[in-house]
Amino acid sequence: MAISMGKSTRRSLLAMSLPVYLLLYAPLLLIAIFSFAPPPLAKGQTFYWYADLLHSPEVIAAFRRSLTLAIGSSILGTALGTLMGFGLYRYRDRNATGIASALPSLIIYTPIIMPSLVFGISELIFFSFIHSATGFLAAGLLTMGIAHVTFEAPFVALVVFARLSGLDPNMFEASHDLYADARQSFLHLTVPVIRPAIIGGFLLAFTLSIDDFTISFFTAGPGSTTLPIYIYSAVARKGVSPDINALATLMIATVIGTGLLQYMFTRNRARKLVARPGD
Amino acid sequence: MKGLMGKIAGGALAALIAIGGGAPAAHAAGKTLYLFNWQDYIGKGLIKKFEAYCGCNVVQTYYDSNSELDAKLRAGGDSQYDVVVPSSYYIPQLVQQGLIRKLDKSKLPNFKNLLPRFQNVSYDPHDTHVVPYQWGTIVIGYNKDKIKNPPESWAALFDPKYNASYPFSMMKGSGRDLIGAACAYLGEGFACKTKAAWIKAAKLIEKQVKRPNFSGFVDGDPTMQQLKKGVVAIGMTWSGSVAQCYADKTCLNIGWILPKEGSEAWVDNMAIPTHAPNPELAYKFINFILGAKEGAELSNFNMYPSPNAASEPYLDKAIKQPLVTPTAAQMKRLSFLPALTPAQAKEFGAIWTAVRQH
Amino acid sequence: MSATTADARRGSAARAERLGRALRLWVTAGPGLTWIVLFLVLPSAILLGIGFFTSGSYGGPELPLTLQPLREVAGYSILGWSSGNITVLVRSLIQAMSAGVLTVLFAYPVVFYIVTRPPAARPLLLLFIVLPSWTNQVVRTYAWMELLGPESALSHLVQSLGLLQPHLGLFPGVLAMQIGLTYNYLPYMVVPLYAAAEKLDWALVEAGRDLYASGPRLFWNTVFPQTLPGLLSGIILVVIPAFGDYVVPTLLGGGKSMMIGSLIASQFLETPNWPYGAALTIFMLVFTCAGLLAFRVLSKRLGGAEESMM
Repeated sequence: MAISMGKSTRRSLLAMSLPVYLLLYAPLLLIAIFSFAPPPLAKGQTFYWYADLLHSPEVIAAFRRSLTLAIGSSILGTALGTLMGFGLYRYRDRNATGIASALPSLIIYTPIIMPSLVFGISELIFFSFIHSATGFLAAGLLTMGIAHVTFEAPFVALVVFARLSGLDPNMFEASHDLYADARQSFLHLTVPVIRPAIIGGFLLAFTLSIDDFTISFFTAGPGSTTLPIYIYSAVARKGVSPDINALATLMIATVIGTGLLQYMFTRNRARKLVARPGD
Repeated sequence: MKGLMGKIAGGALAALIAIGGGAPAAHAAGKTLYLFNWQDYIGKGLIKKFEAYCGCNVVQTYYDSNSELDAKLRAGGDSQYDVVVPSSYYIPQLVQQGLIRKLDKSKLPNFKNLLPRFQNVSYDPHDTHVVPYQWGTIVIGYNKDKIKNPPESWAALFDPKYNASYPFSMMKGSGRDLIGAACAYLGEGFACKTKAAWIKAAKLIEKQVKRPNFSGFVDGDPTMQQLKKGVVAIGMTWSGSVAQCYADKTCLNIGWILPKEGSEAWVDNMAIPTHAPNPELAYKFINFILGAKEGAELSNFNMYPSPNAASEPYLDKAIKQPLVTPTAAQMKRLSFLPALTPAQAKEFGAIWTAVRQH
Repeated sequence: MSATTADARRGSAARAERLGRALRLWVTAGPGLTWIVLFLVLPSAILLGIGFFTSGSYGGPELPLTLQPLREVAGYSILGWSSGNITVLVRSLIQAMSAGVLTVLFAYPVVFYIVTRPPAARPLLLLFIVLPSWTNQVVRTYAWMELLGPESALSHLVQSLGLLQPHLGLFPGVLAMQIGLTYNYLPYMVVPLYAAAEKLDWALVEAGRDLYASGPRLFWNTVFPQTLPGLLSGIILVVIPAFGDYVVPTLLGGGKSMMIGSLIASQFLETPNWPYGAALTIFMLVFTCAGLLAFRVLSKRLGGAEESMM
């Protein structure tokens, strides 16, 4: 559909949009610039703070913890979420009314709509009660992992549900006609079909976990600092400093790099699919 | 998601896992001491010496106020930290809540190194639960370029006459320090204990909050950082924080005031939480710090006077300056904060919560 | 076979099938649902319950049950009534809604700029808007601490405009929080708005033009109503999280201008007063749910309910 628009409108849109783009990246750029500030000691060594990072055991430990937490919780979160999404799509009685049938959906949406702060504080007091009563579940990677799984699973469920919704419902009838039982149907029909959604859900869960701050902050223990918590503690206590800027720049660069890579891959694939016929 | 994209994703994931999991875990071997401490309170060199001495690894986490320590201990920290460093007036509270354990003096042979006045202290009779670590005072830190010729009084902070437009902060945390300062300014004495005095102090603080150049409630250590960065021009901080940055020459334009109406002298102590994961290491650490040379190295780094008599000959000259070790005349102005009974603590908590909601 | 027996058989078969379905539902979705109930619903209920206890000597919850924490939320304290709390609540609402308004103002030009580009360029342009939101929230926020301090160029600029007292900084303060919130949540407004704008029926715009409407009037009557569903989604995605945000008020408010997020957190991390903190949380959740309900009602009125799990 052709969009006819006056030149002046076009230009004013550009004029209004350009500052927004610039403003979005200005703070990130400033962080990067201030990460290169030469330290008082070694003059002229622009990458001093980056080298310092590699020698800091705390930073490396925080990075490892972020990764371990993300991978571990994503695996469990994806498993639970996939089952939930599938179960709700396939077995929910759409004709039933009343609270019992709406309950599963309500429960799944709770972690999504709950503010992170309330989420985090609820976990904090819950785990501290359990800990003082039983001695188990001291605040640490395990409690963080449990909290992460709790907020990841619904997102995975939504992704899987959305993918299933786009499928032909007669599929399941067909497999039933071919004498497949529920388990066989699931393993040999459903799983392969929703595999992109499962992988997408896993990546989403992973991203949510790596990026999370608020919930991790309230469920963390003494030895379980993750990267976002490390940055926050440094910044809240000491203010902005070049070594934190270096760490932040690395994180920003990773995000931008990953985003661009992903964009290029999807564009390439789309191009290949389109280019095929005429070759 | 087959083909190239899948292979690259898989490879990247595998690489990440390799970096994350396979990195040489120097921490895995040997034991770990979890130290929960104030910032800049122990030098890296001393930590390394202890690690060599005990063949263990030290993981240090930080807090900025006694109330933060209390909150963390109650949320399960009493079984996760080996050594914590509370201030004197908080000790009875921690003991009452069962958060710190009785000390076995037989494991602390260096205890005899302490000065007599730091043994059998009033806040911990017969030293059953804690061992003194460092002591110091609260001072007003200010930027000499912005606040010219402030009086030697809390008025520098509380009276708009001396600071009409530059940002100032007041101390956060448990509130005992700030309410004490307000009490002192109002003539009630820093160690005020009555509800009426606290309410008067609270009302003064509320008036301060309404001043346009009030920059916020900030703990002692972050205040020093903010002074250095120019985020605030005057605020309450610890004497040693100021002395430390004089020593490494990072804040030559910062001045300090010990107000004549009175300020706080505090004693920080080492304690072992009730369910500490590694109490043996904790005892080793406490005994280590009580050593003559180690106590001196501690003070020479964090610029606080030492309670350790045996460390005296090894202390730097800088420790003798009045900012760090108050003169006899200054000691007259200093008060130790008293501990509160549970009923008093409840009242005080209600008042402090009310002050903080704004 | 009589009609009733056949009916009865069909009835019992249907019931058995329903039972079978329910069973399979709980087998598949059960583990996940149980997990969420155990680790979120239950803890949240406990937290809300604590709001009705008395604050003990050291801030923990103690019997007897009381409405005192809720009264404290309304501003009543041992010092009498103070407007401080209401100020924090109102400030949080205003900050969140202003963030909503500001992100809308920034998002519309950007969205329509992207939508008028050739289709090949659009994903990249959209990606550039979204990328900053993929960085960590702490990183996105702390950058402004440096940019808005009392000695920064921006602060001096605002001082010279007379909007700020001399020598003070934008940070810490209300303006810094506003900037932080708007910056953090802008991408969340752009994405749904863009999704709506892409589906825009330009024929309607042409029709409007044929009827001699132009400029702002054309936009308001033909374009804007079509973007309403996207706008509503965007507002929900911005205002509700901004209202309960923790990182921005803690880092940029600096303990001077609190929002409900930092106020609640300080009741658990600093001066322990769990019942009061829990009562504040009740309030926050009430507002959040009210907002979501309003959203549901409004979006139903505007039509266009997609297949969803609800």
